Amino acid sequence: MASLAEAELFDAGTIADRWITDYCGQAPAGDVLCARTGDAWSALFEELAGLSGDGLTIARERAHRHAEDIGTGYRIGEEGDERPWPLSPVPLLLDQREWRSIEAGVVQRAELMELLLRDCYGPARLVADGHLPAALLTGSPFFLRPLTHLTPPGEHHLHFVAFDLCRSPDGHWRVLADHLRAPAGAGYALENRLAMARTLGGLQGRLNIERHAPFFAAFRDGIAAACRRAEPRMALLTPGRFNASYAEQAHLARYLGFLLVEGADLAVLDDRVYVRTIAGLKRVDALWHRFDPRYLDPLALDSHSSIGVAGLIDATVAGNVVIANAPGAGLLEAPAFAAFLPRLSEVLLGEPLRLPNIATWWCGQPAEAAHVTANLDHMLIAPAFGTPPLGLPEGKAVLGAHLDAGARSALRDDLTRRPQDYVGQEVVCLSTMPFVAEDRLAPRPFTLRIFAARDAAGNWTVLPGGLARIGEHADARAAVMGEGSWSADVCIHGPDPVAPVSLLPSGDSTQLRRNPGTLPSRVADNMFWLGRYLERGEALLSVLRVLLGHSISADTGAALAAETVDRLAQLVVSAGAAPAPRGLKRQDLTQLARTALESTEGAASVRAINAQARSIGAVSRDRLSADMIRLLDAPFPERGVLLERAGSLQRRYSALAGQAGEHMGRTDAWRFHDLGRRIERALATIGFLRALGGPQATADDLSTLLDLADSQISYRQRYLTGIARVPVLDLLALDPGNPRGLAFQAAAISAHLNALPVLSDDGIAEPQQEQARGLAAALVTARATAIDDAWLADLQSRLWSLSEAVARRYFLHGAEPLRAAGLVLA
Amino acid sequence: MMLYRIRHVTRFDYAQPVAFARCNLRLKPILWSGQRIEEYALSVQPGGRTYPARAEAGLANVVRLVVEHAANSLTIESTAQVRVDRQIPMPAPGDPTIAQIAALARASRDPSPAGPAAYLFPSPLIPLDRAIAAWCAEELRQDRGILEAGIALAQRIQRDFAFDPTATLVDTPPHEAFAKRGGVCQDFAQIMLSGLRAAGLPAAYVSGYLRTLPPPGQPRLVGADATHAWVLLWCGPDLGWVGVDPTNGIWMAEDHIVMAIGRDYADIAPIDGIVLGSGAQAMQVSVDVEPLEVAGSAG
Repeated sequence: MASLAEAELFDAGTIADRWITDYCGQAPAGDVLCARTGDAWSALFEELAGLSGDGLTIARERAHRHAEDIGTGYRIGEEGDERPWPLSPVPLLLDQREWRSIEAGVVQRAELMELLLRDCYGPARLVADGHLPAALLTGSPFFLRPLTHLTPPGEHHLHFVAFDLCRSPDGHWRVLADHLRAPAGAGYALENRLAMARTLGGLQGRLNIERHAPFFAAFRDGIAAACRRAEPRMALLTPGRFNASYAEQAHLARYLGFLLVEGADLAVLDDRVYVRTIAGLKRVDALWHRFDPRYLDPLALDSHSSIGVAGLIDATVAGNVVIANAPGAGLLEAPAFAAFLPRLSEVLLGEPLRLPNIATWWCGQPAEAAHVTANLDHMLIAPAFGTPPLGLPEGKAVLGAHLDAGARSALRDDLTRRPQDYVGQEVVCLSTMPFVAEDRLAPRPFTLRIFAARDAAGNWTVLPGGLARIGEHADARAAVMGEGSWSADVCIHGPDPVAPVSLLPSGDSTQLRRNPGTLPSRVADNMFWLGRYLERGEALLSVLRVLLGHSISADTGAALAAETVDRLAQLVVSAGAAPAPRGLKRQDLTQLARTALESTEGAASVRAINAQARSIGAVSRDRLSADMIRLLDAPFPERGVLLERAGSLQRRYSALAGQAGEHMGRTDAWRFHDLGRRIERALATIGFLRALGGPQATADDLSTLLDLADSQISYRQRYLTGIARVPVLDLLALDPGNPRGLAFQAAAISAHLNALPVLSDDGIAEPQQEQARGLAAALVTARATAIDDAWLADLQSRLWSLSEAVARRYFLHGAEPLRAAGLVLA
Repeated sequence: MMLYRIRHVTRFDYAQPVAFARCNLRLKPILWSGQRIEEYALSVQPGGRTYPARAEAGLANVVRLVVEHAANSLTIESTAQVRVDRQIPMPAPGDPTIAQIAALARASRDPSPAGPAAYLFPSPLIPLDRAIAAWCAEELRQDRGILEAGIALAQRIQRDFAFDPTATLVDTPPHEAFAKRGGVCQDFAQIMLSGLRAAGLPAAYVSGYLRTLPPPGQPRLVGADATHAWVLLWCGPDLGWVGVDPTNGIWMAEDHIVMAIGRDYADIAPIDGIVLGSGAQAMQVSVDVEPLEVAGSAG
């Protein structure tokens, strides 16, 4: 055995050596792998070779699969669906010594940014003293004047920042961009690490790679420390599921234990922020937002915002809610600021920048403008504040050398009128790192996003690692790399073993909890409707399967009577799933079923219902298990005959019901989900009874009714004689022991509503509780012989009214904001 | 010198009772050179809580209004007595040039909302536009005197654009009104601001009131007036801010009362905010600007 293991190790080492030698034969000067010292990279490639032998594609597939499993997708532009996060299997390795100097530069920069914001939003002494032109503030679309002369609660503007760094071929690190508004990417860094740990498990210990968990714990504590209350409620405020990185936000909220909220979940009363929950309004102490800050508050900021919270800024001005980062922080992201940072560092900190920027000239000053004009061919010309200037094609950054004569003269013209709109930047060359292209290693340019957070003591802590972003092409100029299309984990390795860190707080300090806490009304709403849609889909599928099953056997003579088939077709039609069929021939019914299954028109086909359930699943990632999300996200079956597709969907819905029944914690969220299912199932059963259980019901009708309500077996266990109407009605409506029956649903509905929170402690039932009890009582006291259509119709309208009462009491009802504006000026 | 009594009433009617409203009222005219507020009153029916806002974007007196009870309508009445005493600027050969003003504004050390730097850049409702920039540039040569250029551009807009309330809506962007060569005061002010800023000049959006001059022998029209919008142009440290009205092709004079100043309408909308409710809303505005006394020769 020992000799076999040694042989493998030997093989892996040989393969790794060959990979590295081949790679360095083609890599440009200054590549991180070829300029390495020590043997960390060799260890990495040995692990990769040990994993997949000589084929690098296998390693890539594995990394990719792990990333997919973790499930943090992202969205591009207007795409409806998320795509899995593209992760390269080769992490970027950084030596601890090199890292310490980057880290010190990041901490210095974060502190400098904080001091700058304090001055710019405070006394503006830097402007008065001539260190900064006033135009540098007013030029930024993120200079939020309503926040001037205010100190943020907890004293700090910044809690979480990110910087994009690049490494030039000479090994020096420089800053490309600052992200202060709502830095994205930390969730992806977490995910990359998780996927890499699963792919290259052995590497962590072998190279003593520093861990991520303490950073996030420090960030959480830092926000908590800025809050006024001792046990603050903290939330991540998301712009919603159409945001490109919604999945990342949901992932981070879950990881950090923050509530995930949207603007509509929040209300401001008396300058305090509350989240609307099923138990009423609950105070919120801190918001980590991922907004364009201009849309945070339609009252104090952009009145066109329909996603913000009216009064939020007043609440933070009053010191009652920490907003991280302070909404005005984006001011310093303007490229024009980079031109002033070296000097401002000397002024504010009395020391030079440890991490320099790429060289930048702001054209709003005559000497700088002249320099840029004279060196146009060697510069990147970019908008100084992000706003598109008139003199750049499409308003975007462009290499001066790429401008044709016409564009050049347009730029020169505008530079005489509005030079303040432009910066010139040196064109930087990036060093490369290994990437798996096809099945071999290829050098690709990369940038590095680094994250820093403020801890409870107010000090900056830096995530050991970050997000490496890799350009798809070999062109190593930063300006042409763009955002990068692949990412890689970043590992900081060193000689000393890393102490195993546990996120668990030590000892007995944790107070035990069995209540998972606040359930926002919107989440309750989503859970409820997820339940309703899934049951609705299941009910429609069972009708379609009976219809298809029997129409298919029509030729063999085992068909249902025409009148029963007609009633089934009517059920589909009255559900709005398909228009009335022309006749009851086999092809008519197939057409009916096909439309009801897969029509893209209207909201009542199985496809439409499935899409609705799926979109709720997309916004409930922080509440549903990964298995449930996978089932909801699975594509709609497009192949095979209708009956098979209906069957496949029905099995999927059963699996979802099983997940909900056996795997969801018995929280209030689960109660709403089950409540939705029960109400919908009761409504479906009433529909079946009214269609097939009337006084004229035939044996075919009654048998079909038992099929639809999945109660054939229950019936046969109770009644040995044949099918008769009254026993069927009793079983489906009144028998409390039949889990598909009405009485069972009514009892479950009432039990859920009794267990959910009430708003007052006077012991008087709330309307929805009262209605549910009335419904349950009606079913307990009724007699099967008295069941007629009027009685069923009454039950149906009581269920509708109950559903509305639930919505009124628990959900965000009638809270859609209207804009009060539109004054006409003459 | 003029003394005006201004009554500005806004009434919202809601199809369904609204449960909650939160608004900004920027209705009280600001203290500004050439005008003094002698009396002011604000009333809200059927009632609500009002308090001055601490966080604000423009030069405006901002009051936040919170209504927390269900209401079918909301009436906001603002009355002010304002004394106006303003000189009309006179272009002179020694005026600073456009290039000089632009350079001074770029180098300004005043980031406050009263300084030129705040109005140098495009704003959310008034982006820079190539067509508007080129058209305005014909009056805005870099070496032309600032006052001469300012009034020339205002007069050109007044001459070449049709006053046509049906041509545009409150949210029509400047380039659309420009293409139509028509609109109302807001459109003309926005086009002029876009052109001035494209030339590198600091220029602000003003909302306020204008006395409608009655034809000789006829009574002044009451209730037909609305709020007005025009332009403030920064003309250097000596001349300061100078008002110019492209709707009428004139300088801001004693017929103009400044209510608020901002980068664009969004900074200083007289009323904006949100109402929680469902269903439609209708709004009616009436403005009376009544001269109480007239003295001196201006007006």
